[in-house]
Amino acid sequence: MAEQEQSDVHFQRLMSDDGSSCGLMAGSADYLQTESSEQLLRCQTEHEPGGHSQPLGGDRERRGEWVSGEYLPARDWDPNLPLRALPVPMQEKRNTRERRQQQRRSFGCWESWRRSQQIVRRRLGEQVARALWGLQPWRSTLHAIEGKFGVGVKVYFTFLRYLVYINLVHCVFVGGLALMPTLLFGGNTTQGFGHFRGNDSVLDFLLGTGFLERSPVFYGFYAPVPQSSPCLNSPLLFLLGVLSLLVLSCVMVVRRTVIGYKHKWMLGNRYNLHMSYRVFCGWDFCIQDPDSAALKHSFIRNDLRLDLEEERFHLRVSQRTFQQWALLYFLRCNLNFIVLILLAGSFYLVYYASKCSQEEQAHKSPDWMLSLLLQYLPPITITAVNFVLPHLFRRISSFEDYSLTVQVNVTLVRSIFLKLACLGIFLFFLYGQVKHKCWETQFGKEMYKLVMFDFLACGLNALLVAWPRKVLLEKYPSCPLVRVSGKQQFLVPFNVLDLVYNQTVTWVGVFYCPLLPFISVLKLLLVFYIKKFVLFRCCEPAQRMFRGSQSSVLFHFMLLLGLLMAVVALSVNLRMAPSAGCGPFQGRDSVFNVTAVCVDTLPRPGPSIIRYLRSEAFALPLILAEIILLTSYVSQGRANRRAIESLKDMLVMCSADKRFLVKKHSTLLRRHARALKTSVSAGTETDGRPIAMKDPSGFQPVVMRSVSEPCGTACQRLSDR
Amino acid sequence: MGNKQTIFTDEQLDAYQDCTFFTRKEILRLHGRYHELAPHLVPMDYTDEPDVKLPLALIVNMPELKENPFRNRIVESFSEDGLGNLSFNDFVDMFSVLSEMAPRELKAIYAFKIYDFNVDNYICKEDLEKTLNKLTREELTAEEVNLVCEKAIEEADLDGDNKLSFADFENMISRAPDFLSTFHIRI
Repeated sequence: MAEQEQSDVHFQRLMSDDGSSCGLMAGSADYLQTESSEQLLRCQTEHEPGGHSQPLGGDRERRGEWVSGEYLPARDWDPNLPLRALPVPMQEKRNTRERRQQQRRSFGCWESWRRSQQIVRRRLGEQVARALWGLQPWRSTLHAIEGKFGVGVKVYFTFLRYLVYINLVHCVFVGGLALMPTLLFGGNTTQGFGHFRGNDSVLDFLLGTGFLERSPVFYGFYAPVPQSSPCLNSPLLFLLGVLSLLVLSCVMVVRRTVIGYKHKWMLGNRYNLHMSYRVFCGWDFCIQDPDSAALKHSFIRNDLRLDLEEERFHLRVSQRTFQQWALLYFLRCNLNFIVLILLAGSFYLVYYASKCSQEEQAHKSPDWMLSLLLQYLPPITITAVNFVLPHLFRRISSFEDYSLTVQVNVTLVRSIFLKLACLGIFLFFLYGQVKHKCWETQFGKEMYKLVMFDFLACGLNALLVAWPRKVLLEKYPSCPLVRVSGKQQFLVPFNVLDLVYNQTVTWVGVFYCPLLPFISVLKLLLVFYIKKFVLFRCCEPAQRMFRGSQSSVLFHFMLLLGLLMAVVALSVNLRMAPSAGCGPFQGRDSVFNVTAVCVDTLPRPGPSIIRYLRSEAFALPLILAEIILLTSYVSQGRANRRAIESLKDMLVMCSADKRFLVKKHSTLLRRHARALKTSVSAGTETDGRPIAMKDPSGFQPVVMRSVSEPCGTACQRLSDR
Repeated sequence: MGNKQTIFTDEQLDAYQDCTFFTRKEILRLHGRYHELAPHLVPMDYTDEPDVKLPLALIVNMPELKENPFRNRIVESFSEDGLGNLSFNDFVDMFSVLSEMAPRELKAIYAFKIYDFNVDNYICKEDLEKTLNKLTREELTAEEVNLVCEKAIEEADLDGDNKLSFADFENMISRAPDFLSTFHIRI
């Protein structure tokens, strides 16, 4: 500290001496600038020649390193950092390794054994991580997709794989907690399963009747196991399985949403780093194929042009007159009105289709084909509506004069609302029909039909729409139909919406059709290959890149909305009395009867504690505590943001200080040089002793250290606060 | 292991395994790739650490690097003389840093070196213009290039000197979600 103050004082004195000569140098500021930067460069190149930094010998681990004129502190090479992460050439790493080994030899027995165990554990961990990472399915396919079609399309397939993982976890829960107990201990009740009876037909797989109705697919199979204790019985396990499944998926989806959102939101608007990311992270170093490389070049070019266009758009927006704004808002109101009418129309269609289907089920018509069609009418209507309307929304939003990302988001919001609301209307209709003998299985059947038809629609879309369109494009390129529809592109947002819809239906239906996760896994696997076929054979790479990393947050958020809807639907369902003849809860007043019975049989403090936890006396303090916690986090976040702003300002000031001081230093040097020249040319020396020119490079460390120290200590003070 | 390879001693392979992100098998495979670039120059026996360097022109024609617009800069950054002549150590180093297992901080240091064309430890506007021209094969207009460079510097420059020091670059890269997945070469 004292030394630093001394050097500070030293500088004060120097500056006061030269105060009068400042004006002389003002005109040659440019010269000073180049000269001072040359000196900096000369100093640095003495330490760091050429490309790869050469070691200057000695204890590199304990010294720091000169990088771009800044002194990187020695913590970067702390002895616990693994060798392979050191940014030094190979020979230097081997020297460091030998040095560490020598150090290790000087340790005692215990220390060396501990370290060797650490190394073994680390190597084992690395091998396990590598093995697990290699196990991820479809890695090479995803890589090929990314190379050929861009990161945006890859996001869809990554999302699909994530949904497969979620459904596999669900399968484990359902299999372990619901299926296994009933199969193993069910006894008499499971007799009907597995045998084909007289009335069974292939249609059963489509309608969920007959063979399928008696199988574990639907709720009716899971009768309560006889001879079981009050707390360990199959209904309780069934309930537990489904509820924990939903809680786990909630946790997983929220975690993924928040991780992506944090990157975007926490840093505020100043960190809008699109251009820099495009320039520095734009090129994929894995590309080896010349065609892919050409494609990537054009992607990057179009991306940058898109960014520049958005900048121009923002400029145009800021220059709109009042008249233009008024006209625009009028137009937008009208278009939103049209959207609302379309939505209302589709809701009515779905309701009408559901009514027709219910009438059909009540009085079956003799013709099996008509009967099948009418029973499948709600899924057909929902899928048809969701196929046509989002494209209409896309066209509508192009007239509303938003920037491109806002356009995509607005279309997405409208489409997700359409999808979830159609499903909601269908469910609402079904709740009104709770009169059947085994209404839970009916409900499960409807969900099963939705999933089946969605899969059929995907397959039919590939066969009857995508493939013919491609053939038409190749054979008759001048046909007017082809020219209107344009080249086929893989529209990521709409495909992701389909996935979200499918997952929502799975979550809504899992209580009444417990094997729905299994069916979903199979369906998703097949959808992966179908979509891959459509992508590689029928689609062209889009010239406008879809911003993948930004929108994966949106997709996970939509998944969260679907999960929320499923939770709401299930809670409404669980309030209704279970039917008397089928399922694990038959004969009870409500589903939660099983939990009440279990709670009552717990040892003495148990029931009263649980009753307390359910009462308001517990809920209110809990809510209060959560509010306090939330407030503290929010205020901490705000304080951190303010600290970031002040640190940024300090950084700018430090850099300006540095440049000023270097300028001063070069002024000094020039004065010395001039003084030397004049005294030499005059042939005399002022006081008979040689003028000792201080080594210019010797000045630098003093300058750097005393400039970086104030910033460093000030920053530390700020962070301590 | 049981395989009787005579290219490296066990001690050397251990050292390579500790100093890079590769396993023994991968290092032997890398040696094979290095050898086939110039079979008459590169000896099959490395036990006595021969001092053999391959020129830039040979390395840059490898299929992994051929289509990369920054191939020259990559090889130059890892060479000891700064001109692109790689010894086997440098070769292994290069692919180790560019492998999938290298941490972000290490990659950021070398990425900075790669994008710093004039090797002055700053990424100035000229460096950015060269980067951009290599990225887009010079198909953007001069005005567009200028706009993009200015915007990039404005976004990432924290200390206000109109060029990117390593601290600025690292700060920007640490937030880039795609950096790790794009900045790697599989070999």
